[in-house]
Parts: sequence; C-alpha cells; structure tokens
Amino acid sequence: MKVLLVEDNERVTQFVVKGLQEAGHTADHAGNGRDGMFLAASEPYDVIVMDRMLPGEIDGLAIVEALRKSGKRTPILILSALSEVDERIRGLRAGGDDYLTKPFAFGELLARLDALTRRAQGESAQTRLEVADLRVDLLTRKVTRGNRPITLQPREFKLLEYLMRHADQVVTRTMLLENVWDYHFDPQTNVVDVHISKLRQKIDADFERPLLRTVRNAGYSLTSHD
Amino acid sequence: MMRFPRSSALTLAVAYIGLGLAALALFAAPLWYAWRVTVRDGRYELLQSDAQRLTEVFRRDGEPALVRYMDARVNLQIAGERLLLLVDPSMHPLAGNLHAWPTEIPSQSGAYTLYMPLGGPPEEVVLVHQVLPGGYHLLVGRDIARYVPLEQRFWYALGGAVVILSVFGTVGGILIRRALMARIHGIRRTVSAIIQGDLSHRLVTYRRGDELNTLSRIINQMLDQIEQLVQGVRNVSNAIAHDLRTPLAELRSRLEGLALTRPDTEETFSEIDEAVADVDRVIGIFNALLRLAEIDSGMRRSGFVTVDLGELVANAVEFYQPAAEMRDSQLRFESDGPASIQGDPVLLAQALSNLIDNALKYTPPDGTITVAVRRNSDRSVEIEVADRGPGIPDAEKPKVVERFYRGDTSRGTPGVGLGLSLVDAVARLHASELRLEDNRPGLKARIVLNPGNILPSRAIRPITETDERYQHEPVYP
Repeated sequence: MKVLLVEDNERVTQFVVKGLQEAGHTADHAGNGRDGMFLAASEPYDVIVMDRMLPGEIDGLAIVEALRKSGKRTPILILSALSEVDERIRGLRAGGDDYLTKPFAFGELLARLDALTRRAQGESAQTRLEVADLRVDLLTRKVTRGNRPITLQPREFKLLEYLMRHADQVVTRTMLLENVWDYHFDPQTNVVDVHISKLRQKIDADFERPLLRTVRNAGYSLTSHD
Repeated sequence: MMRFPRSSALTLAVAYIGLGLAALALFAAPLWYAWRVTVRDGRYELLQSDAQRLTEVFRRDGEPALVRYMDARVNLQIAGERLLLLVDPSMHPLAGNLHAWPTEIPSQSGAYTLYMPLGGPPEEVVLVHQVLPGGYHLLVGRDIARYVPLEQRFWYALGGAVVILSVFGTVGGILIRRALMARIHGIRRTVSAIIQGDLSHRLVTYRRGDELNTLSRIINQMLDQIEQLVQGVRNVSNAIAHDLRTPLAELRSRLEGLALTRPDTEETFSEIDEAVADVDRVIGIFNALLRLAEIDSGMRRSGFVTVDLGELVANAVEFYQPAAEMRDSQLRFESDGPASIQGDPVLLAQALSNLIDNALKYTPPDGTITVAVRRNSDRSVEIEVADRGPGIPDAEKPKVVERFYRGDTSRGTPGVGLGLSLVDAVARLHASELRLEDNRPGLKARIVLNPGNILPSRAIRPITETDERYQHEPVYP
C-alpha cells in the first residue's frame, strides 16, 4: 500500500518510513502542514498517517477537516501525543478514522493501517467469511471447520468475526480490546490472551493446521498461509 | 517608626466621629426649634393676657384709672421686666415706661418683634399693640435679653458634647486601630513566613471568636489543606521518582550490558525485546498517571452519558471469566437487572476492571470472587467486588488509594500501585468514594453511585483551541 506520513519529528519519521518499507509498502513523507496538505490533496494514497501538531500555520486536524470537506475519502490515522479521551474524540470528529497515541509500537501502527485500508476496500455486505476450511455464517451465526460445527459463546463469535474480517493481517491486543469489547483502556493482565487461547481451543485444537497464530511482539493473526 | 498610612481603622473612626456629630446636630436642631417656639409663643401669650387685663381696666374705669394703674405698675416693676406705654389719639404718651411711641409699630393691633434701644445698644423686644376705644393705643412688651444666658448654656452644652464625642472618637479610633494593626501584623508575619516556604506556621486564634478570629481559623484550615496537598505532591513525586527509576535502571544496565559484552545476534535481539518491555512499563506508569490527572481535573464530566451499570458489570465479568477459570477461581455475578446512572462508561469499566483484576490477583486458587450490582431502596446503585484473598488491614485501608502505595501483601505481585488510586479517582469523579470493607476473610470493595449524580463541586472547563497546551509542542519520547 501507498502511505503518506505527515510528521515533523525526524526520529519518528525515520522509524515509521523504514518500518513501512520493510513491510513492503511505499511511504511518502511531509515535514510540515503545508506540504502534507499539498501531497494529500494531489496524490492518491491508500492511507494517511497524520501528526496533530505540526510546524507552520496548518495543524493536523485542520488538514483532516479540509480533506474531508473537499470530498477526499482516503482513510486517515491520526498520530498524536495528546492522549486524553476528549482529544481522541476531537480527532475522530474532525474526520480521522483511527487515533493512535504516541509513544506507540510500530506493530500497532502497521496493524491499524492494514485494518484501515481493508475497511476502505469495502466491508461489502458479506454474509459468509472463510479462512481455509473455517467458515462463519454471519446470518445464521453458525461456525464450521471442515464439516464439523463449532459452538461459540456470543463474545467468542464476535472475536472470531473480527479476526476473520482481518484475515491474513496482524491484529493487536489493543485493537481487539477496542473492537470486540469496546474497552478503551489497558487491563493490566493478559486477559485477551486467555480469550484467544480459549478460542484457539475451539477452532484449532482438533485440527492439523492451526489458523490462529501468535505474532511475537505484535498480536495475533488468523491466516491460512504459512 | 509609627507610620500613618491609609488605615481602614482610622478611616472608620473618623467616619464614626462624623456620623456622631451629624446625629448630634440632627438631635439638637428640633430641640432648638421647639425651645424657640415654646418660649416665644409663651411670651406672646403672657403679653397678650397682660394687654387684655389693661384693656379691661380702661373699659371699665376709663383713661385716668388706667393711667393710675399703669403708673403703679411701672413704680412697682423691676426695671426692664415689662415695657408699657399708653398714648392718646395724637400719640402723646400718657403713662408707661417708654418715652415715645416706636415709629416701627403699625397703627393696627398685633404682636411685633423689633430692635429698640433701651438706654443702651438696641435689643430685641417683643411688643403687643392693642388699639383701645377712643383712639388710645396700648403697648405691652418685653425684652428677650433675659433668655439669652439660657440659650447660651444650651449652646455651651452642645459644644461640650461635640468636643467629648470628638475626643472619645479619636482616642477610640486610635485604640481600635492599634489593636487591629497588632493582629494584622501578626497575620502578616505568619503569612510572610509561609511565603518563605515554611508551611507549618499557623495564625493565632482565640477561643472567643470574633470575625477576625473566624477568618484566621478558616485561613488555618486552608493552610492545613494546602500543606496536606503539598505533602501529597511531594510523596507522589518521590514515588514517581522511585517507581520510574527501577525500570529505567534495569533498562540502562541492559543496554550498557549489551554495549559491553556484544553478544551474538540472537541474544542481542532478545535483550532488545526486554529493553522495549522495560520502556513499555515506564510508558504504562506515565499513562496511568496522566489518566489519573485527567480524572482529577474533572474534565471528563463533560462526557457523562447514561450508563447501564448492570450491563457494564455483566460485560466486565464476562471479560474476566476465562482468566478466572484459568486460575480455577470462581467469578460469580449477581445483579438486580438494569440500573442506569449518569457517568463515564470508559472510566467505570476501567475502574471495575481494576477491582476484578485485583481480586483475581489476590484470591488463592479455588477461591470465589463475587461481583454484584445492587439497586438500593434510595435509588442509588452499588457495585461490589468481594474476594476471599488476604484482604487489607484496617490501618492500611486509607493508604491503599494513595498513588504508588503498595501494601505488604502486594509485594511480589505485578503492578505499580496505581490501580486502586484510579478506582478511587473514578468514584470521586462520580460524586462517590471507594469503600474498602472486610469480607471476613478477604476484601469487599464497594462504590455507591447516585442515579442522577449532579456534580456541583468542580467547574467543567470547555476545551478551546486557544488552550495553553496547544501553544507548545510536546516533547516526543
């Protein structure tokens, strides 16, 4: 994917651009609001990473608002050191699609960017999700692997649905907390891991090929690829 | 050196003296008026009746009888007490002690006041003029000089009162000022000492309380509160320094070790991962502190919505259920059904999560944890998390909500000692408090929330673009 990074801190820029390139993406960079605004408006990007506080007259939120007003629908992830809930809400209201607080782990950023571009490609009115021989019917809420039916609790179903919608991507614990449980804080213990291992018991335990994998230092991924 | 600046006590004293004088004048003026009127009217009446009597004599016995009568009166009279004059139609004096008809008196009957010389400088005289049958004229009068000493005494008394009032007022004002200044100097000395940085000083108060004493007492209470807060901040700063130093020290030695030993790639990577974990711990502490500060500022109240506690707690219990199963603990949920309050769902969920997390941490395997939502008869809603762990000794209960406090029983468990601080802060944001009770054995943590908790204590500040924090670029890690 093609990413635009609007960020004035050189260290952060270097870190993100290098990481994106290593993950096989191309990244453009703008160091101030004016350049960022120009690039975002003129070039086609899959996703934009926008810092909030930028040198020059235009700040990140103003760019986001201007882009949305001009009809640009490119997904935008707002990156900011302002962590208060009110600030998050402001960022999302301005037209941001996701909000990540500095300092952040690169894995978290990458996973969120993946999720955003996937969402932009359209979560069409899918009623069936499939990864290898694991099938989820969203209408009847039936889950089968191979020919065997699997019984899931409602929350487990939601967890699996989210993982399947983001199949072949890395999803982080924070993303799961936010999207499956709607918890916007960090519960200190590894409760998400316990939920995952319970789900893994149900969908992977009796099968030769595990689908739900742990990605070190990042999170989890539901994938049929090796 | 005794200075005389603009003292409020002195100003007050002067104002009171002025007010006293004004009151005195207001009191004396009607008195003076009444005196004048009474004396004058009384005098007229006397003269009138005298004139009446003389007229009677004239009517009954004729002119010669009146002349005789008046001559007798003049001879008997003490000089100056009565002025008498009878003239014939050609204004020729017949009897009396006046030598000529005063030209100022008009020809008809009536009472008149005028100045006339009575063997000396002109004096004020009151005269009654009576026209008698046959063109005779009668004058009966009296000079006022007799009353002058009396009036003078009145003025002397009034002047004396003014002097006494002024002297007493001034002396009183100076004394009051001196007493007041002494106490204000005391307050100033104490406050100066406090400004110098010694918060232990207090204003002197007395058992018999006047207004100044009440004020001193309130200021002392304020100082107590400030001292406590400063102490709290100092403790927190120390705790932050200590709790951040530990992971930072680990991080430093890890990185230094890497630089010194230069291990193979595999080990280097694993050390780097550990280093990142150390940094994450520091970030975690910072985030927890920032959130606490955010809650304490009261700003979050602007985001209050209607929250169903029954659902919120049920979700939290469901979230922790697998973790409890893994520890072979039982996590039980009791609920009276939906219970709505005004609140911040994110913070309430986090507070509850901290309580359940704590309970799981301290409950031994096979233990039971009960999470309950209860609706009380007064419409308040209660959240209760009860465990069967070691509990908290009574002496430690007030301390566990302090930032970074870690009790003896929590040694060796993960955490930095901010969990219960956050729960308490969230409870206080919702106009409640965290109550820690003995579950015999174990700990029972309760939060009682009012359904419509209206929060008057802190003003909610709207966020504006001109806020200070937008003026500065934050320092990135």
